[in-house]
Amino acid sequence: MSEGRLTRRTLIAGAGTTALAAPLLAQKVIDLGLPGGPGLRPLDPQFPGKGEMIVQRIRPPLLEAPMAVFRDGVITPNDRHFVRWNWDMPTSVKASDHRVAVGGAVAKPVSLTLDEIAAAGEHVSIVAVNQCAGNGRGLSEPRVTGTQWGNGAMACAKWTGVRLRDVLATAGVAEGAKRVRFAGLDVPLTEGAPQFIKSLPLDIAMRDDVLVAWAMNDEPLPILHGFPLRIVVPGWFSTYWVKMLATIEVLTGEDDSYYVADSYRLPAQPVTPADKDFATVPVTTIPPRAFITSHADGDTVAKGKPLVLEGIAFGGNAPLARVDLVGKSWEVPCTLGPDEGRYAFRRWTVTLPNASGDLTGIGARAADTQGAVQPETLAWNPSGYARNVIERITLRAQ
Amino acid sequence: MRAAAALALLALALVACDSAPKVAFADASITLPDDPLDLPEGPGRDAVLENCTACHSPSTMLQQPKVSREKWESIVGKMRTLYKAPVDEAAVPAIVDYMVHVQEARPAS
Repeated sequence: MSEGRLTRRTLIAGAGTTALAAPLLAQKVIDLGLPGGPGLRPLDPQFPGKGEMIVQRIRPPLLEAPMAVFRDGVITPNDRHFVRWNWDMPTSVKASDHRVAVGGAVAKPVSLTLDEIAAAGEHVSIVAVNQCAGNGRGLSEPRVTGTQWGNGAMACAKWTGVRLRDVLATAGVAEGAKRVRFAGLDVPLTEGAPQFIKSLPLDIAMRDDVLVAWAMNDEPLPILHGFPLRIVVPGWFSTYWVKMLATIEVLTGEDDSYYVADSYRLPAQPVTPADKDFATVPVTTIPPRAFITSHADGDTVAKGKPLVLEGIAFGGNAPLARVDLVGKSWEVPCTLGPDEGRYAFRRWTVTLPNASGDLTGIGARAADTQGAVQPETLAWNPSGYARNVIERITLRAQ
Repeated sequence: MRAAAALALLALALVACDSAPKVAFADASITLPDDPLDLPEGPGRDAVLENCTACHSPSTMLQQPKVSREKWESIVGKMRTLYKAPVDEAAVPAIVDYMVHVQEARPAS
């Protein structure tokens, strides 16, 4: 990676840069440093209930967190949590009118009010990373089309709700059930287009920690995050965390709907950009990742002085085991911060005693307890899913 | 017998209390910001405004990495056949021309 490519700096128009494209001159922008560009993104308009976010798209909303959001703590504030909608969502939801239909292969289909959902079982809270399957897609080399995210389509929150299995029990899962499918209130504008519906294998749906959640960080889910209810599947990419939950459908066979059978899929085996017609598997679990958050690419550090680097990491579907700071031919173990739960962000820190060595292309490398380690090179795929290559930056000691 | 039943009821009530504290669900609404439909000048711009931006903001297209004309044809085709976008077939070449033009006119970064 070339020096300067990953620079993430908030630029104010007219502040001495010539890199700004004309249409963005009047706006506050951020440079995502996407290889080959375009990497500049506006930080406005502001959305209700959101702080400063990278506006990837206004309709349907796609908002990314600037990496500075991850400099402190492990919980991402709700107003900085990334936003991703495939289709337009309703802009108003009346709580007393909302129902969740539970049907398909069940003993007795039911239509549940929000109060009935809340009464379906024990209330459970879990801290878990929510990460878009396409997070970091814009950094793919070669580039691929799709939402051109930097690495800010991720967040960590405390989710509160009832277990999905307790909601399913109100209808009674029938014999032969294989998958559980979810639909929200977000529907296509056009007749005949595929609705954004997603399904989980039954064993995942019945897990102790898979929730129908109504709160994030002890606040009701904001509309942009799926009010009044969303599915939470710790360890799995957020494509399964269906928002504005309105329908739960138990399936007895495979799910042939578009967003499961045809989209959100990875090559079954490694591919190159020249490969066509290869077998695919669904994107499911989150692999381990780590990020340096104390410094950005291109930052200057004091030569000859101790250098403290900090960041965040997560194991994804498996607990985080370790984080190492890696350079070109060296690595140093990092100290992990408090464990806030196996699915949470975890902070790490490391001190280099003397910042004078080679700080070119340094990165944090996470490993999980199952032996998965972030790879040196990108597992390229045509949709840019599940990126977890080591993210490297270059610092200058002077 | 009656005492046992009463105890059982009490126990049930306690469990219910423990497991399901009241959650207050208030109505929610949001006013989304206007989309200024910022599209650089170029041949075919009107075709894009007429056929594409009813469903999504222009940024979706403008932020894409530079790709071939064939790729843009395939993307517009996917909008029509998969997502059922009411894109006039006659407008497709103009839309593709516009995207190719905008990407070529973009400063290299």
